[in-house]
Amino acid sequence: MLTRAAVVLAAALLAPAASAAGWSVAQQVSGEPLHPAEAIQADLALTAAVSRLPPGWRDAPGLDVVVDWRDDLPGDVHGRAFGTHLRMRRSLLADAGEAQALQRALLHEFAHRYDHSPHGGLSRDPRLLDLAGWPQRPLRLGLRVRDNAMRDRSPDAYERTAPAEFVAVNLEYFLLDAEYACRRPALHAYFAAHFGWAPPQVDCAPELPFVEAQPEADAAPLLMLDPAQVYAVDYLLAEGNAQPMSRWGHSMLRLVICAPGRSPGPDCRLDLAHHRVLSFRAFVDDVQISSLRGLTGRYPSRLFVLPLDQVIEEYTRVELRGLQSVPLGLSPGEIATLLTQAAALHWSYDGRYYFIGNNCAVETWKLLQTGVPRLADARLRSVTPTGLLRRLARSGAADLSVLDRDDAVRNGFRFPSADAEYQALFDVARAEQPLPVTRYADWLDLAPQARTPWFDGAQLRDGAALLVLEHAARRREMLRLRDELKRQLLDPRQAAVAAPSLATLRAMLDAGDRLSRPAQLLADGYGLPQPDERSLLQHDVAARAQRLHGLRAQLEDGGRMALTPQAQARIAALEENIEVLGARLRTLHREAGGLELD
Amino acid sequence: MKVRSAFLLLAALSAPAFAGSFAGTSAGATSGGASASSGSTSGNDKVVLQAQEDAAGFVASEGRIRGARLEAALRHLRETRPLAREASDLELAQAILAR
Repeated sequence: MLTRAAVVLAAALLAPAASAAGWSVAQQVSGEPLHPAEAIQADLALTAAVSRLPPGWRDAPGLDVVVDWRDDLPGDVHGRAFGTHLRMRRSLLADAGEAQALQRALLHEFAHRYDHSPHGGLSRDPRLLDLAGWPQRPLRLGLRVRDNAMRDRSPDAYERTAPAEFVAVNLEYFLLDAEYACRRPALHAYFAAHFGWAPPQVDCAPELPFVEAQPEADAAPLLMLDPAQVYAVDYLLAEGNAQPMSRWGHSMLRLVICAPGRSPGPDCRLDLAHHRVLSFRAFVDDVQISSLRGLTGRYPSRLFVLPLDQVIEEYTRVELRGLQSVPLGLSPGEIATLLTQAAALHWSYDGRYYFIGNNCAVETWKLLQTGVPRLADARLRSVTPTGLLRRLARSGAADLSVLDRDDAVRNGFRFPSADAEYQALFDVARAEQPLPVTRYADWLDLAPQARTPWFDGAQLRDGAALLVLEHAARRREMLRLRDELKRQLLDPRQAAVAAPSLATLRAMLDAGDRLSRPAQLLADGYGLPQPDERSLLQHDVAARAQRLHGLRAQLEDGGRMALTPQAQARIAALEENIEVLGARLRTLHREAGGLELD
Repeated sequence: MKVRSAFLLLAALSAPAFAGSFAGTSAGATSGGASASSGSTSGNDKVVLQAQEDAAGFVASEGRIRGARLEAALRHLRETRPLAREASDLELAQAILAR
């Protein structure tokens, strides 16, 4: 608190800065009066700072301040606001090299003064708290988290200490940094809307950068996403299955990205190869997943950007779970703000995954309500993926009727689990030949060689059915072997044999860690990477993805060698079956004079 | 129809059965499904190759099984190959299957 007795009041009312300011800036000194050079510096700095403020702030009544130049501020503190009283470090006046720091410090303290006044209140605004990284918790009656997890690529770690500091730090950058609009677009838009004004800014590139953590071998891992090329965003639900961790399904968002050259419209729905999925996942940095660590927040929660093709493959064919893709009916503007928020999370969020309190449904809900303020309705809150979809539908945000349309599968609103049709396909094959079993599961259980003789007699239609089943058999075998190899890797008695593979796996996990938390790839800068940072990334990310593919190949080789001769023979027989059946189908097609694609 | 390495799935070691909510090095490693022919897979023909299994289901079910990936491949063929514009869906699905 102020000790008024010791204060030598040297109040000098500044001439109104720039145009008519609605409030006054008085100065006082605690200690020796300012030297003439210091006084000039102080006046210049104050005039400059006031001139940088938004007109509405400058003209607002009742924001009078007293700037108190002091020598007794602790450590590296440049300023402190006590209501109308702004204590500033006097030594900043002595050194012209500190002019920039002084400017920042003054704007920071002015911002506190403004925020605490009836004009401000920004640090209590739910919208600001959502954008800043203090979202509501799902199970605590809407209480907000205490710890801000937007740790990465922060301009100043001090901003995470409290919402008031977040506002002050970000107003500094809003007012002083011409790249703020590009680096923190959502916050820039928030302040610009609040003040009805924004300082001059550089032009921002429209694309948002995302690093794909698991790129396909032939794809560029740095995705430059132009929101204007996104026709729609769907809530993508992976249906649950009996596995304990998959019972409630999985929440994702599907970005319906149009192929280059196609204007956004319903036709983009079939540009599947260009669609991407936003999926919050726990990043498991160990060979063995642990439920306990999942419950206690041991795993980081990260926003993955995945090719839709990969997601369809993984769920419908490997895990045998269906996908539902329900349009959210967002406007182009809402799509842009949603993707901007997704990009902000991708580059800055470093949260923890909790099976119940912060799982994929909670993360997706937070992303939706921060990215699309219209959806910021507490009643959407759910801790399960199916619950969130139900609530989105009830509020009118999601249109479930697409799932019942006749063309739901054909147009990609539903991706059924692959096994839904296996029995029907097997019946097609049984109608043509007297196959030895009646249930498809028994067919898949046969030794691969026991199925081969039937391929010779197959015609186009039943041969195609058998091919689908052969692929299913191979996938099932792969899953079985994967579990077997994993068991071997973790078996202490096999430690010596498994060591090289484990080392490779750990190297892969490390490489995956970097790519899934891309802030680790850049040393400097804050917020979204800007053009010079993007070009740095481009090469680095490509090299890392290449390395990841190399490690994967190495692991596969190791895995192949670790298999028993019987298992190797079985795999070889399955591959042979697919080869034989494929050749048979090609021959039949040619003989029938079918259409040849070049 | 050549089959890609059978061991792609092994790379998903760290995320058995939980690939949805948990990622280690998993996804992307599981695409052992559709075959990758020895020919060039560059460019948009990936759309066609990835639809091979879908095309098999379509041919076997005489059009009853008709997923979006096949639909995308049919449209892609018609957009890029004059020959395909004249062909029926079944003819195209058979051609995809026989690639």
